Amino acid sequence: MKILIKGAKVVNNDDIFDADILINNGKIIKVEKSISGRADKEIDACGKHVFPGFIDIHTHLRTPGREDEEDFLSGSKAAAHGGFTAVCCMPNTTPCVDNEGLIRWVIEESKKIGLIDIYPIGAITKNRKGEELSEYGAMAKAGCLALSDDGDSVENGSLLRKALEYAKMFNLLIISHCEDKSLSAGGFIRESFISSKYGMRPVSDISESAIVYRDIALARYVDARLHLAHISSKKSIEIISEAKKTFSKLSCETAPHYFTLTVEDIEKSKFHGNFRVNPPLGEKHDLEAIRKALKEGTIDCIATDHAPHSTAEKELPFEQAPPGLIGLETAFSLTYTHLVENGIMDLKNIAEKLSFNPARILGLKERGRVEEGALADITIVDLEKEWVVETKKLFSKSNNTPFMGKRLKGTVEYTIHRGRIVYKNV
Amino acid sequence: MEGFKDKTRVLSPQDIKRVLYRLAHQILEKTPDSNKLALLGIQTRGVFLARRIKAIIKEIEGTDVPLGILDITLYRDDLTAIGPSPLVKETKINFSIDNKVVVLIDDVLFTGRTIRAALDEIMDFGRPQKVELVVLVDRGYRELPIRADFVGKNIPTAQTEHVEVRLEEIDKKDEVVILEKSNK
Amino acid sequence: MWDKKHIIAIKELERRHIEAIFNLARNFKELSQREIKKTPALRGKTVVNLFFENSTRTRTSFELAAKRLSADVLNFSASMSSLSKGESIVDTIKNLESYHPDIIVARVGFSASMRTFMRYTDASIINAGDGANEHPTQALLDMFTVEEAKGTLENLKVLIVGDIRHSRVARSNIFGFQKFSSSIRVCGPTTLVPYEFHKIGVEVFDDLDKALDDVDVIIMLRIQRERQESSFFPSLREYVERFSLTPGRIKKAKKGCLIMHPGPINWDIEISSALKERLHPFILHQAGNGLAVRMAVLYLAGTRRKEL
Repeated sequence: MKILIKGAKVVNNDDIFDADILINNGKIIKVEKSISGRADKEIDACGKHVFPGFIDIHTHLRTPGREDEEDFLSGSKAAAHGGFTAVCCMPNTTPCVDNEGLIRWVIEESKKIGLIDIYPIGAITKNRKGEELSEYGAMAKAGCLALSDDGDSVENGSLLRKALEYAKMFNLLIISHCEDKSLSAGGFIRESFISSKYGMRPVSDISESAIVYRDIALARYVDARLHLAHISSKKSIEIISEAKKTFSKLSCETAPHYFTLTVEDIEKSKFHGNFRVNPPLGEKHDLEAIRKALKEGTIDCIATDHAPHSTAEKELPFEQAPPGLIGLETAFSLTYTHLVENGIMDLKNIAEKLSFNPARILGLKERGRVEEGALADITIVDLEKEWVVETKKLFSKSNNTPFMGKRLKGTVEYTIHRGRIVYKNV
Repeated sequence: MEGFKDKTRVLSPQDIKRVLYRLAHQILEKTPDSNKLALLGIQTRGVFLARRIKAIIKEIEGTDVPLGILDITLYRDDLTAIGPSPLVKETKINFSIDNKVVVLIDDVLFTGRTIRAALDEIMDFGRPQKVELVVLVDRGYRELPIRADFVGKNIPTAQTEHVEVRLEEIDKKDEVVILEKSNK
Repeated sequence: MWDKKHIIAIKELERRHIEAIFNLARNFKELSQREIKKTPALRGKTVVNLFFENSTRTRTSFELAAKRLSADVLNFSASMSSLSKGESIVDTIKNLESYHPDIIVARVGFSASMRTFMRYTDASIINAGDGANEHPTQALLDMFTVEEAKGTLENLKVLIVGDIRHSRVARSNIFGFQKFSSSIRVCGPTTLVPYEFHKIGVEVFDDLDKALDDVDVIIMLRIQRERQESSFFPSLREYVERFSLTPGRIKKAKKGCLIMHPGPINWDIEISSALKERLHPFILHQAGNGLAVRMAVLYLAGTRRKEL
């Protein structure tokens, strides 16, 4: 099918310009001003911005095991609604995706649904137990691009070292969830004046930064690629920034809640379970450091860490609610409203953090930029429109977001995957 | 009182003094053996009136009649009604009321609900031989079958009006006035 | 004018609220001396004691308080271990709602969780202890006892000793005494004083001898053995050496200093048994005051104005 997008403002990581875009057979054929000729479908993008399709390097789709919270269909729809044309889903499912059979299964299921790409991340260790390596070779052959025990850190340094070394052979990216469980044990809120005031068991920021330091040291030692998940603290950023000066194989991500919320917002919400997340929301100085790191490039990607949970579980007392927030459908609007609207980042940065860098880090070819020859994965947004986050507007099966009821600026108007419209804002 | 202004004065300081002497005599006339008596003043102004009556009885008979203070807030029937939460004041009854003739004293008798609450509270303290009610003013509009044994003055009023007893101990002067709504 | 539907945290009360509670408590103390220790103030109201943590003293105190106000009382106890994923807490409240309770007195092991309950019931909630966050009626009875003994709560030097980190009694007392411009000191092993705790407005000590200097009131907290097992301190011996209140140490406090303990007391750990005589009268007072304070709190919650 031929699609012609007219009058767009194209945003890539390094350039913004006016152009029309011609798509055919799932590829971007032409990107230039005033393309003439007819197409099967014409999209008027006047006044709108066109980004390369967003890529989420960190999502939880709860399948297999908790299809009540999310399944591949609802997850795909939620992703498309948020402007994502590809997501990587984490293996902390039941059963755990730690073998080639399940890798193949995830890829096939996502093809059957046919909305967006779902790339399964395999587990670093069998069943994520942190004891034995899973079969990286077999999983790579089946299409796995990256490995993570997300939800847990690989506690044994020697095992993580072996994982980094072994993964190198298959060019698999290790994505590390950094948490020293002995320091964070029993805790559920950032150690701060607020945790002391309310007598809540705390999680110090060093439980993240101590392992950030260790994991970088190991990756550097064996010269392996390393990507750090959901960075939430100033201390971690300081370590990453310093390391990047001399180690180029290091990348990292943060999630929108870490640059929009702090532990004070938890108190304001009167400790609603929708504000409980791991790593926990930090303090003001962490939020400011993360914003600065995004601007300066220390943080490479914005990843949603989309983590659906049932309403019944999230309405439990804060201490009992399972950690995690959904984020696919609000990531772009939050990034635009809180980072671009107040001048911390510009639009090109969004293209870089949400598309170009994730594609590069994951090795996804022909994606991450709107240019001739690239795959037709495109997101068209309207930066003037506002929307209010409401359950009825969300495609996810779950609605555990701390932004419920909030008004955000920037809507996704079209999401196009391989030249097919998979989401249209009506 | 908020939103009300003085309309008429119905009792002067002299009137009040005479009325209290008369009431004291009436109490003694009904119960000649003053040792059987016990006075209970209802917070707040009933307490001051009870003290004055006690002093008058001492003057007339030479008897020291025991005096108790009763706050009826915890026995009210309208605790959850709309209105500011009343402040609970002291209740102090340091003697047994069993077999006594309890003289309950209050400033104004109106709907009768305060007296109903007072009676319930008195019964929780013991079993008096008899309870008599003495009020300085009866303004009518009873909502319960309650009547006073001895009344200082019957004052006919409109329901929208208010009767205020002012006593020197707390209001700096002695008088009883009818109040009407002010137009401010 | 009482304007609070729930009484869940001293942090959320103003000084005038506390004074109103004390005024009522004095009257309820008088009531407890009558032949008939009852008032019909809460007649026909249903009070549910929902205790997810064991507690005989606090629960029976609330039960008797409710009964003396003529309320109907229901007791629910569920041990925390029987709660699987917390579903029972929310389910329990939802099921209770079919009885239309007027007041729920709740004790749960989770800090700041009273708000969760409010979403599922119309009843007034009274916090009888939520995790390590607050235990409002304990602090109220402590302050009431101090006011009785000292005549005032203004400008006193108050010292709280022990496991501050895990103590809801400590937190509620700190917030309470602060409203009366008393100064508060906390003293305990460094591992048991929470992060940045001075920000709450207290002076932090790790040396009991120094902390005791010139204090008017000492509140000793109970030490729990689990803390030793989680290595907050290596042994009871070391704890006692540095933080136990002994006849020798007490001399550093002001003469006539009040010693209090929320109970039950581990004699010769928190307090030397040689000081039993000094404490004894207050132990009795605290129980009676606890009852009066709880009656006041139930009365205020149960007779609050209905909204228009």
